[in-house]
Parts: sequence; structure tokens; C-alpha cells
Amino acid sequence: MAELLQYLISGLAVGMIYALIALGFVVVWKSSSVANLALGQLVLFSAWFTYGMLVQANFPLWLAFPLVILFSLALGWVIERLALRPLIAQPILSLITITLGVAYFIEGVVTLIWPKSVAALPRFFPTQPIRIGPAVVSQEYVWVAGISLIVFVLLTLFFRYHRMGIAMRATADDQLAVQACGIPVTRIFSRSWMFACLVAAIGGILVSSIGGITYGLVETGLKAFSVVILGGLDSFIGAIIAGPIIGLCENLGGGYLTPIIGWAGVKDIIPFIIIIIVMIIKPYGLFGEVRIERI
Amino acid sequence: MTLPSGTRNYTYAQDMAILRTKTQWVLMAVFLVLLLTAPLYLGNYLLSVANLIGITLIAATGLNILTGYCGQLSVGHAGFIAVGAYTSAVLTNRLELPFLVGLICAGLMAGLVGLIFGIPSIRVKGFYLAITTIAAQFIIIWVINHWSSVTGGFVGIPVPEASIGGFTFRGEASQFYLIFGIVMLVIFFAKNLARTRVGRAFIAIRDNDLAAQVMGINIFYYKLLAFFIGCFLAGIAGSLMAHWIGFMNAEHFSLTESILYIGMIIIGGLGTTLGPIFGVVFIRLLQQVLTVMVVPSLESTFTALPSGFATGVAPMLFGLIIVLFLILEPRGLAHRWSLFKSAYRLWPFSY
Repeated sequence: MAELLQYLISGLAVGMIYALIALGFVVVWKSSSVANLALGQLVLFSAWFTYGMLVQANFPLWLAFPLVILFSLALGWVIERLALRPLIAQPILSLITITLGVAYFIEGVVTLIWPKSVAALPRFFPTQPIRIGPAVVSQEYVWVAGISLIVFVLLTLFFRYHRMGIAMRATADDQLAVQACGIPVTRIFSRSWMFACLVAAIGGILVSSIGGITYGLVETGLKAFSVVILGGLDSFIGAIIAGPIIGLCENLGGGYLTPIIGWAGVKDIIPFIIIIIVMIIKPYGLFGEVRIERI
Repeated sequence: MTLPSGTRNYTYAQDMAILRTKTQWVLMAVFLVLLLTAPLYLGNYLLSVANLIGITLIAATGLNILTGYCGQLSVGHAGFIAVGAYTSAVLTNRLELPFLVGLICAGLMAGLVGLIFGIPSIRVKGFYLAITTIAAQFIIIWVINHWSSVTGGFVGIPVPEASIGGFTFRGEASQFYLIFGIVMLVIFFAKNLARTRVGRAFIAIRDNDLAAQVMGINIFYYKLLAFFIGCFLAGIAGSLMAHWIGFMNAEHFSLTESILYIGMIIIGGLGTTLGPIFGVVFIRLLQQVLTVMVVPSLESTFTALPSGFATGVAPMLFGLIIVLFLILEPRGLAHRWSLFKSAYRLWPFSY
């Protein structure tokens, strides 16, 4: 029972982070129908940048975090401007592979600047465990879940009330109509990339504050794809619901399947198995729009 | 398709010939002679680079059939190569079966695994397929790392040298003949596949799978066939790689390697037989030049370089090259080559 609660809470917390990262994907996909496969590397890059600011440059928190946010926004802008903008209206294959190229490039940059393969961020959250009923849960998970929730609420408000948020939703809905209304679509694209990098950075910081910075962060970013796939590519609600589902599956499955199968690390592979299963059974996900093609 | 001036086709056989003119025959013969005598004048190091290029070429040709001709993006090609490599390694090492059995089984096994992960391609495409194949890559590597009673797990597995009927391929030179024999078969196969019913069906599916289906092409069959052929070749390449290196662990088959394969066929030119050759030679040579010549000399001249420079500069450069090619020349080096050829034929009256 205590074990179960523990898995539930950590699963929910991790799942929320996945959902956060996945939101960045969904925004880009909806506004410009570009599939951002560099998600994992963006998470890795921003986590290392945070490390650089906090540990290597030894900036205080109030200075480091705004810098990280500025950096991630700039990164998103640069990627969109230099790599994606020249490829508007190119075949989907080019759009996917260019993000792979960007991913490769970022990975090179990361290994160039931070050749260490493992590092730890300073602890932001109190570490002493807390008791919820019979379970003893590391307090960090609760904090992470709380922060993710706050970010979700902020994002929802942004998309509902802010001019830019409304414009982004409109672009997702109908690009031509938005253009006819005089909204610069290319600017929306670049904002959506900045947004994606921002949430990837937040996700990266949250994950690495618990688990440290490893190359596994790329995998964390890729696991966000299983959230996207399960929730449906073009659904915000889908991502927010599917995130905790994936997190729960991962932790529960990891907790209870490992003794049965006997191979350690079942946890890491469950999201990918879910991808395959969803692809075969319901490829457009729980809330995704089923595309009907015409010749 | 422009012909050299003065060349006319009088029969269907002439029209379908790959090599049309005497010059082409002569050039081809010279090229083959140069290639086959390469062990005589290439040193051991250069031969090993050539072998690596040959192995990569087989896998890249497979990926080109799958992605370039049939349009099914696979970001898990290194995973399929790993399946082939480990099948061959396990069969020849643990069961002590002959190399040829291992080679064939490696291809078949990789093809089968490719079929399984290719099933979603019937309903989805583009990004969905990319994600499926990334998942395939992770699942395959995970299984290899954890099924240690068979695959040796993280430690790895030694692989015996390839041998056929008592003759052992020992040393780079004899490996070279083995690898390039298969490379030539594979390229011949790929070149002709593109001109058959199957190849045309692939191209139709790539251009618009719905339209292809309406025209009566069985896309279920042809998409899975593309997956099988592509992954079969990946398996063959994997088997050769296992026997060439002599020791396998999963580090040879990372996701970045998969991305690099896609980069190779993009740089070379998707959907051409020549493309993978250009792309593979370009990337592998660049890799060697970087790691052997450029990086050490830079490191010795500039002592202040960060310590990650040696490992980080190659991925950076390759990522940059992929991005630049997609933006500036999406049809790849093969297209540039054909432009050059037609310009050369008409020179100096290029208009």
C-alpha cells in the first residue's frame, strides 16, 4: 500500500513534467505543423545551461533563472529563424529531418561545452521526506508536481486571455483566415518555438533537480512523445491528461513488472512500448483529430 | 534523362541499359579495376576506412529504399542494424553456426523485426512513423542490453571471424573483398529494384500513398515489403559489421547513429542509387578527416580548447551539414552530380 502510494505520487509528478514538455511540442505542431524531434536535446541543453549558470558561473537563483528563461527564448527564436523559416511549405520529410539535424547539432554543442556526462544541480526543494498516509514520499516530487500545476494554470490563462495566446490558437485553427486578419503568421511560428523551448527548459530543470543531469534527459524529452502520441498530436487537453497516465504507467509498471521480468530498468522502456501499442490500435491518440485525406 | 549527344536507342535493350556508351563501359571497368586492386595500394588504415564505408553503404542503401523510394521515414535504422549484428554474433558465437548462415539469418531477422515495427506504417505516416521507429530503436537497444544471457548485455559479445568453406576472412584486405562483393550485389539490386514494378510502386506510394492505393497498388503489401527490404539490408550490414569489428556492444547503435544515416541519404540525395554512395563516402570520410587530422592538429595548435572539443565538434558539424543541405540543396549531391554531368556534356555550349 505504501509502495503503491509512492509510485502513484512520483508517477504523477514525473508525468506532469512530461506533459509540460509535450505541450511545447503540441504548440509547435498546431501552429506550424512541424514535428519537433529535437525535444530531448532541447531539454538536455537547457538543463546544462542551468548548470552552467548556477554552478559554474555561480550566479544566485534570482539572476540565474531569468537568464535561463531568456536563453531558452533566444534558442527557440534562433532555431525557428535559421532552420525552420527557410523550409516553410517544404515536404513533411524535410521538416522532420531538419529538426533531427538541429538535434544532432545541439548534442554536439552540449558535448563541446559540457564534456562531463553527469552533473548535479543544487537542490532547490527541501529534501526531507514527508508522510502522506502510510507512504513516505520525497518532498521534491510534491514540489515538482505543484510547480507543473502552476505552470499549467499560467499557460491556460495565457492561451485564453493574452493576445498572443489567442493569436496562436487562431493560427492553429486556420492559418489562412489568420493571415487574412492581418496577423503575421511567421511571428506566430517563431513565438511557438520560443514557447516550446521555454517549457522544455522548465521541464529540464524540474527533471534534473530530482535526477541530476545525465544524457538520459534526451530520453526524458523523447518520452514526452509518448504523451503526445497517446493524447493526440493536436490536443492540449490530450497532453495534459496523457502526461500523468504515462508517468503512472511508467512508475507502476517499473515498480511491479521489474520483479516479474527480472530485467532492471523496465521503467525506461514502458513509454516506448506504449507508443507502439497506441500506433497499432489508435494511431491518432485519445483526443487527436482523425485526419481524413482526399486526393 | 539526357543522353550524351549522338547516342540513340534503337532497341528496348539499349533503352534499358544502365551503361549506354563505350565511355561509360570503359569508365566502369577502370573504376572496378581500381576498386578491386585497392588492397594493393591502400594501407591498412585506409582499407579499414573503406570497409567501414562499404558496410555503411549497405545499410544506407537499405534506408534509401525505405525512405528515399518508399517515403517511409525510419529514425531507427541503427536499431535494425543492431538486430542483424547481434543475430549473427549470437548464431556464430554461441551456436557456432557457419558465417553464411549467420549472415542470411541476420538479414531475415532484421527484416522480420522491421516488419513488426513497420505495421503502424499502414495507417500512419510522416511524424507518427518517425516516432514509431525511434521507439523501435530504444526498445531494440534496451532488449539487447538486458537480455544478457544471450546478447552479453552491457558487456558485449565477441564475434568470430567470418569464414566460408574453410577460408577465413582475416585482416582488412580479405574483409575488403567480402564486404565489397556484397556491396556490389546490393547496389546492383537496388539499382534494378528501382526500375521494376516494385520500385515504381514504392515511388508511387512515396509521392502520394492515397493516390497509389486508388490506382490499385496494394500499399499494405508494398509498405511492408519496403520495410522488409530496408531492414534486411540493415541486418546484412550489421552482420558484416559484427564480424569485421569482432566484438559487439550496443554502443555502436545509438540514436545519433540513426540520425546520421538519415543525414547520409539526405546529403547524398533521396531516391537515387547514387545518392547513398555520395552521402556515405562524404560523411565517413569527413568523420575520419575530423577525428584523425583536423581535431588533433587543432588541439595541438590551440591549447585553450575545451576538453569536449574532440567529441563535440563532429556532431555539431554533421548537424549543421544536414540542416544546410536541407535548406540549400534538398536533392543532395546526386542532383549536383547530374547537373555537373549535363553541363559537362554540353560544354562550352551550355544553353
